[in-house]
Amino acid sequence: MNKEQKIIVRIGSLEYEQLERLLFSRYPDKEWATFLRFGWRESSEALVFTSVGIDPPESGDVDERVGHVKILEPYTLRVALAAESHPFAIGVAHSHPEDYPPHPSGIDDDMDSYYSEYFVGFTHERPYLSLIVSKFDGQIVMSGRAFDKNRCKIVHRFIVERTPVQTWPKTGVGPSSMDHGRTARLTAAFGEEASARLRVATVAVIGAGGTGSMAIEVLARAGVGNLIIVDPDHITESNLERVHGSQPAHVAQGMPKVLIAREHALSINAECEIKAYLAALPQKEVVDAIVTADVAIGCTDQQHSRLALSDLCTRYLVPVIDCGVMLEGAEGAVTGQIIQLVRFLSADPCALCRDMIIPQRLAQELMSEGEKSARRAAAEKAIMRGEDPDPYWQGVPQLNTVGYLTGAAGALAAAYAIGWISGRFDPPFARLQMNIVEKCFDVQEVVMSAKHQCACSRVRGWADQGAADAFISPPPHWPPAKILA
Amino acid sequence: MSRERILRELAILEEGGQLAELFSNGGDFVVYRAVPTAGARFNLPETTDVIVPVPPGYPGSNIDLAGLPVGSPLLQRVKGGTNSQGIRDVAGVTWQLASYHPHANGGGPPWDQMQHGFHTYFDHLISWLENLGS
Repeated sequence: MNKEQKIIVRIGSLEYEQLERLLFSRYPDKEWATFLRFGWRESSEALVFTSVGIDPPESGDVDERVGHVKILEPYTLRVALAAESHPFAIGVAHSHPEDYPPHPSGIDDDMDSYYSEYFVGFTHERPYLSLIVSKFDGQIVMSGRAFDKNRCKIVHRFIVERTPVQTWPKTGVGPSSMDHGRTARLTAAFGEEASARLRVATVAVIGAGGTGSMAIEVLARAGVGNLIIVDPDHITESNLERVHGSQPAHVAQGMPKVLIAREHALSINAECEIKAYLAALPQKEVVDAIVTADVAIGCTDQQHSRLALSDLCTRYLVPVIDCGVMLEGAEGAVTGQIIQLVRFLSADPCALCRDMIIPQRLAQELMSEGEKSARRAAAEKAIMRGEDPDPYWQGVPQLNTVGYLTGAAGALAAAYAIGWISGRFDPPFARLQMNIVEKCFDVQEVVMSAKHQCACSRVRGWADQGAADAFISPPPHWPPAKILA
Repeated sequence: MSRERILRELAILEEGGQLAELFSNGGDFVVYRAVPTAGARFNLPETTDVIVPVPPGYPGSNIDLAGLPVGSPLLQRVKGGTNSQGIRDVAGVTWQLASYHPHANGGGPPWDQMQHGFHTYFDHLISWLENLGS
């Protein structure tokens, strides 16, 4: 196992609200505690925990006579026994008094030492997670330790739904050699703290075409410190109208879009750490990377990517801004130029519930070229027999788009990612559509609820433990994912 | 392929007394064991094993097709049985896939991964093997 494996804890907003209410119920002087359940995903680079729910203490579960936390045995036993009938990791969270850092005390060490061994008897190979939360210098500060495979690992990063929170010990943000003059206006608008958050943030951009390349450029210029860029395609001549950073020479070279995006972003911000994946969602390597990101931006017109991103939000609590564009009309008469922006937070309905997925188009995307050819041929034969060709193949119209529309959509998506990471603003919609050739853009908010038969509200935060409820899997005929940088 | 999902669906079938197995060799397939047929009326087998390919990206793609062992007399009578969609060697048997598309305008509801799976596809197989023509 890689020694540099990062431990990341993602907490959904619903659990976080409940957690804050519980842990600060005796504030500012006295501590309190609760058990939680976490899903998790482990790769060589990261162990990511995702909150599933809270097992709050009942009356008499925690000793109220003392100021520090003393969890009583019936509570511990109840949580341990419950773990025998669910697949999740057990976590415990407790508060430290106000302005005491969330540094583990000797008592905390004893508790974790005891629990990490005790719970193994009930949870076997599952990790155990211990969190401490306090208000320090007017800020919520969290520390954590994961106990996994007989090792104790320090939590590197906490992300509460869409905004990273201060992690203890404070890693701070070192001085940047980046030209601060360039981000001076952004810093003046949103503050030094916002800029500092952006410098340590990781944003995943899925798709490096028209929308993605613009989003990447905006993020790089804003000083985002880490980018994960995913796209399986190579540049073609018709992309030159939309893809920022692309040049005719790239077409001649058949360059992967992710490398064009990487080069372009580095030419803007040489300090940006960029991982470029010649791959697609939901390939394992891509999922491993995206679950570590603070925010993901969906910049693809591919149904499988959109569905997979929605799944990552549901099961791994990754906040997503998805964007798309569409030209309406035919034969040279353009009647609509649509931009769509969709917010996926863990409590939002998934892409299936929002009717954003066209099953026929999705199925065709997932077929191998051989299967597509065979089905087209079978459809032609069906027509010759006088039968319905649709069971074999249905024609799906190509979506057309133009660079100014993709650029606008990508820039807006990047803006909301910056708003989330900095904690300064939120998208004021769940799903927005606007038509730039209609009066006042004919802005529409499309509000939809989760469908009762969908798993999305049930498996929130289940991570790998909810694999049976994954919305999609990578087809076996796809080429292996390649990490190009 | 979402192995976890498929195994969960096959477990649902098993709870109801229907055995089905997942095979992965040269592709992923579910083999339903001893599926009842209406063959008795025609002096044909009253049960048969049936193979169904796992579609790419499952459950993103709809389940489609169904196959019987090559040489099965039922192939002459089931819907799409004479319109071969390929031959597969799986689990020691050579299978012929028939042109059966219940979730693609083929008589069943449109694919909805929230509700459908290999456990509900079994109902379509029952229907397929019940309607053996006149």
